[in-house]
Amino acid sequence: MRPHSVSAYGFVGLLLFLGAWQAVGTLHLAGPSIPALTEVFAIFAEPWKLALLGRAASSTLLSAATGLVAGALLGATIAILAHIVLPLRTGLDRLSVVVNAVPAIALGPILIVTVGRDWTPATLAAIPVFFLIYVTVSSGLRSVSPRLKDAVTIMGAGRMTSLLLLEAPAALPAFLGGLRVAVSAAIVGAVVGEWFGASTGLGIVILNTMLNFQIPMMWAAVILAATASLTTYGLLGVCEGYARRRFS
Amino acid sequence: MIELTGISKEFRLNRRETVRALEDIHLSVKAGEFVALLGPSGCGKSTILHLLAGLEEPSSGTVRIHGKPPSALRAEHKLGVAFQEHTLLPWRSVQSNLELPFQAAGLTVDRERIAYLIQLVGLQGFESARPRQLSGGMRQRVAIARSLALKPQLLLLDEPFGALDAVTRRHLNHELQRIWLEQRATTLLVTHSVEEAAFLADRIIVLTGRPGRILREYTVPFPRPHTVEHTRQESFHQLCDELTVCLDPSIRSNKDLSGSLS
Repeated sequence: MRPHSVSAYGFVGLLLFLGAWQAVGTLHLAGPSIPALTEVFAIFAEPWKLALLGRAASSTLLSAATGLVAGALLGATIAILAHIVLPLRTGLDRLSVVVNAVPAIALGPILIVTVGRDWTPATLAAIPVFFLIYVTVSSGLRSVSPRLKDAVTIMGAGRMTSLLLLEAPAALPAFLGGLRVAVSAAIVGAVVGEWFGASTGLGIVILNTMLNFQIPMMWAAVILAATASLTTYGLLGVCEGYARRRFS
Repeated sequence: MIELTGISKEFRLNRRETVRALEDIHLSVKAGEFVALLGPSGCGKSTILHLLAGLEEPSSGTVRIHGKPPSALRAEHKLGVAFQEHTLLPWRSVQSNLELPFQAAGLTVDRERIAYLIQLVGLQGFESARPRQLSGGMRQRVAIARSLALKPQLLLLDEPFGALDAVTRRHLNHELQRIWLEQRATTLLVTHSVEEAAFLADRIIVLTGRPGRILREYTVPFPRPHTVEHTRQESFHQLCDELTVCLDPSIRSNKDLSGSLS
């Protein structure tokens, strides 16, 4: 199938989905929990609600971005360390799996008493990002063909020079691919992190509106979080595509 | 210049089994000599190059280049290598791929040298092309230019034209001789093409199948430069015939058989 016909199908699918949502909402097919799309978007027209959502979203996105940058830096650094210092590799592989396997819900209370409620969202965002970047960068660094490694070794390059000239550029597409998937994980981490008592954020709005049964407002907050996640996913996809063409 | 003494090399397949790739190899190569290693597939020809490049250690015996272990030559950046697969970095242009040896060795990039090499292998106008935009033959030209970048004392060519079609291959053999005559680095060429070995080398070492042993040694009788005329002479064909018989044990035994009958 040609690419433009795929995107045409996708667009038709999206329209059908939104139409169905609107129909379910207006006809109250699923009760009050799924309001019509128009009702949800009406929220954005109310200035004070819009301002509230804006403050919440910027706080959540700041936490997610902090977690994304910190997790990515840590993941990439540790992956490089594991790549260079062979004896550490197995241990660091297992450590990253263990860190990722601990459920966020179990970590929440621990983080509240250690890093505090304001840093919990960023920390919970950083953990899955760290794991994803560690895994993708590790495999990217290891994907270089032994032939190329031999060639660079014969030219007299040591481990660090080889990393710089060969493995790092080869791992760049994998890194961007990991970052793309990590964005949604970071936003989920930040929203969940806020549930443990942050002062503001989309997670707080979602929680409060759910408890107060302000269903359209809740959906508006969810849509904001999803839109931020999907937009960054798309943008990083473009970057990854460019890097894949450029570096492989 | 090169001294291989009593080399044998075994590879571990698993816990119990090992395979012997090379056995009792004695080989010395003079400075400035072009030696071809000819042998059937899997006879350990490439292993000899790996030993000389210091990528592997022999199971027994010693490898000496100028009286020193191979790692010394590598540390001086006086070793050039081209493999059957071109091993160019796909994200770098031709120009940038030729800068790689300088960067890997921690030297300043010699742009004049690169311009000279590009002209030497006839790739003017392709400086900014990526490897994937080039034909197989052009990629091998870049690989050979790259192997010459640091003016190597020892050039190791591991079937550099093995993946090319016959016409391109013959053409590049002529080109390689021209390039070699300008550079005069001591060269070891691994090949399983009889004509390639006979055309390019001063001396041909024929290896047997697994484990690789030195079967025979031939000195190529033609003066340099070797020309197309040489390849049409009876003595060239005779050399090729002898080498072919050496390579294929089944032809050899048939010949022995007919010899014993007559």
